[in-house]
Amino acid sequence: MKRLLVAMLALALFGLVGAQTLVYGVSGPPSSLDSVDSQDGNSLVVSGQITETLIGFAPGSTELIPRLATEWSSNEDGSVWTFELREGVTFHDGTPFNAEAVAWNFSRWNDPEHPYSFRDQGKTYTPWTWVFGGPKGDGSILDEVVAIDENTVEFRMNQPSPFLPAQLAAIYFQIDSPTAVMEAGVDYGTPAVGSVGTGPFKFVEWREGQGVVVERNDDYWGGPAKVERVFFRPITEPTARLAELQAGTIDIAVLLAADDLQAVESNPDLEAVTAEAELNVGYLAFHQANEPLDDPLVRQAIAHAIDRQAIVDAFYQGLGVVAEDHLPPTLFGHGEPWPYDYDPERARELLAEAGYPDGFSTQLWYMPVSRPYYPAPQPIAETMASYLADVGIDAQLMTEDWTTYLADYSTGKFPMYMLGWNADYADPDNFLMTFFGPDAQENQLGWDSPEVTEALTTARQVADPDRRAELYSQVVNTVAEEVPSIPMAHNRSLNAVRSNIEGFVMSPLGYSSVSLHEVSKE
Amino acid sequence: MTGYAIRRLLGLIPVLVGVTLIIFAITRVIPGDPAIAMLGQRSSPALRERLRQDLGLERPLWLNMAAARESGDFADLFDSQYFDYMTDLVQGDLGRSIFSNIPVATSLAARFPATVELTIFAMLFATAVGIPAGVWAALRRGTAADTAVVTLALSGVSFPVFWLAIILIYIFSVNLGWLPPGHRLSPIVQFSLEPITGFYVLDSLLRWNLSALWDALKHLVLPAIALGTIPLAIIVRMTRSSMLEVLGQDYVRTARSKGLEERRVVNKHALRNALLPVVTVIGLSFGTLLSGAILTETVFSWPGIGRWVFDAISARDYPIIQGGVIFIATIFVVVNLVVDLAYGLIDPRIQYE
Repeated sequence: MKRLLVAMLALALFGLVGAQTLVYGVSGPPSSLDSVDSQDGNSLVVSGQITETLIGFAPGSTELIPRLATEWSSNEDGSVWTFELREGVTFHDGTPFNAEAVAWNFSRWNDPEHPYSFRDQGKTYTPWTWVFGGPKGDGSILDEVVAIDENTVEFRMNQPSPFLPAQLAAIYFQIDSPTAVMEAGVDYGTPAVGSVGTGPFKFVEWREGQGVVVERNDDYWGGPAKVERVFFRPITEPTARLAELQAGTIDIAVLLAADDLQAVESNPDLEAVTAEAELNVGYLAFHQANEPLDDPLVRQAIAHAIDRQAIVDAFYQGLGVVAEDHLPPTLFGHGEPWPYDYDPERARELLAEAGYPDGFSTQLWYMPVSRPYYPAPQPIAETMASYLADVGIDAQLMTEDWTTYLADYSTGKFPMYMLGWNADYADPDNFLMTFFGPDAQENQLGWDSPEVTEALTTARQVADPDRRAELYSQVVNTVAEEVPSIPMAHNRSLNAVRSNIEGFVMSPLGYSSVSLHEVSKE
Repeated sequence: MTGYAIRRLLGLIPVLVGVTLIIFAITRVIPGDPAIAMLGQRSSPALRERLRQDLGLERPLWLNMAAARESGDFADLFDSQYFDYMTDLVQGDLGRSIFSNIPVATSLAARFPATVELTIFAMLFATAVGIPAGVWAALRRGTAADTAVVTLALSGVSFPVFWLAIILIYIFSVNLGWLPPGHRLSPIVQFSLEPITGFYVLDSLLRWNLSALWDALKHLVLPAIALGTIPLAIIVRMTRSSMLEVLGQDYVRTARSKGLEERRVVNKHALRNALLPVVTVIGLSFGTLLSGAILTETVFSWPGIGRWVFDAISARDYPIIQGGVIFIATIFVVVNLVVDLAYGLIDPRIQYE
């Protein structure tokens, strides 16, 4: 019997069609391969191997590099951008990639009237709204994309858009084959159809809940990839991802628990992979509709009361750093360093000065889910609360289901709350406008700072990078002065590979932006 | 008997309509909605409002009073979310996921076999171990062996499934390397098996792909044990107490005094009667297993419906929640009906009119 089993197993291994399959352990199944209609890393990491953005990032950095577009330039005020496209590229289905195809894609996302937009059948293109403000005629900064000739497109904007290239490099805006979209209709991006692009891998099969397989595109413009096939395997639990990596059933495991760093480093078969720095930040924000948090002295007191370094040392396993402001260190636009060191004595003085010598009671809401910027929200919140208790502030710890949390944080229900951000695109605007823009001031902070609004709106429309940096540092300094929110930490996610895997480089924008083109398996 | 079965089947219809009403009400009562989940942190009230409009969530939920009043047409009263859903439902259309646009029926068809296969194997494990253990303990009533079985069964109920699953993975996959840590098939086998029914054990037999069969069975062992532990414990205790009761009955004493050998007394006279309540427990456990598979499916990355519905609840993906719950409820009531009818076959004293 045993012999038979061994023989059968040998047969199974022998029957492998090419052993060059890379098994990539992701944290969940994709939702859609129609990239602008999906918003989760597990979808984008798959579609990003099949379909490509116009502009890419250099491996492991935020530096913009040519991808489907080879060069770009703009007019004086950044309201018209011209992109030269790579020549001689075809989609996996043989459709030529050209200016026409690019214009068609952007029109599909931007224009609700586009015949293949399918908005009436449930496609929402939410990431488009995030980055471009909304559909055409309803907040979009893009007027239209025009094909000038076979390999030139012009982006005509409704307003100066100085950092359009950075926005176009966001992982969402991957170019699909118009032929394939027209053929598949509303099913484009679902398991029945998959997606069709110009990327280093072609879609083969998606079995719901079990994973997606893509195979090498031998005609890829950048040369064929180093592995024949990639199998994306969804594994929800970080402990299970590590177990599978240890057992050797997967080659790459993303987003492991920071506590597992030791287990990875002590195992000769595994290698930890982290980015140099990732574009994220965790913060503690105030909603000033709740007294006495509307008093800047009280907020400054809280900033002095919490030992951020100790929190980072305790919970970030050497992967994170204390945040000097709300901008990741690798971006421009920083101001003066954060002026509030850990000083409970000073915190008590400030509270007394504000009229609360005996402290006060409030609520501190913490996220029910772990994110790279807050790897362990509950214990971190407990630690913060104990620091606050030291200076007489009684912060009751609260949480609720994640979707409700995201609905409630912008209503003033949370006096103090933990939240954070992973970048869509590598520009200060993506952070500061999100945290301190007019919408955020009104809904999420209960704060009113006309000069911050002014600086942020101006910075969106100025072409000169030095002037933009100056405006952002003004915002950063105002935030440091008035403390509508306390920056806590920037973190790096822990990922790991089997030691026979080469060329897996983590992106600062998270694992969804990683290209597997250069990854090889010994 | 047949008349009774048909009556009971018809009786399921109002029950299931009730389920649709309840699940519709519950999904809309829980705070948060798909628009919030989709927009995430970047949702201004205006954006949310627009998305809710686009998703049709602003339409009347039950009855469209306004439209009916305006047109004076009674039929317009039913121009609402619920009646639209029901109209599609009776045509077999469960709608599409709000997040992924995948038709809910497609996902159910893809995921349901995984959950059922796991449930069946968990139940096989629980009954194959549980009934003999229960009988064995009953026949040794009051001995140390009996106490050991009862204690084990009691601790089986108190193990958290999640914890047990992780322990199993660490012992048998990571440390010993005997069994795979999750999923239904190995990466290398996964796409060599073209599914027919979606039940991989069956499919690999039908295709006579023995390496896939072996692989599928190996993948079933740990999750089936993790999921089957609680019903196992219940079955052991149920069998034991039921057996003890039967062994004290007059007819068993009669059988023994007739000089029948003990094995025949136990198997033929006692066990058959003792199993009646156990069948009930097995039937009821099936329903709980279907829903209780969430934790097991999570730890073992098992692509079933439990975890899928759970994630949909977190994301407020209404069509998936509705379709998944209605589907599970249907299975549940049908299994219960089958258990009731099975009584009549096992116990001649029960007569259905």
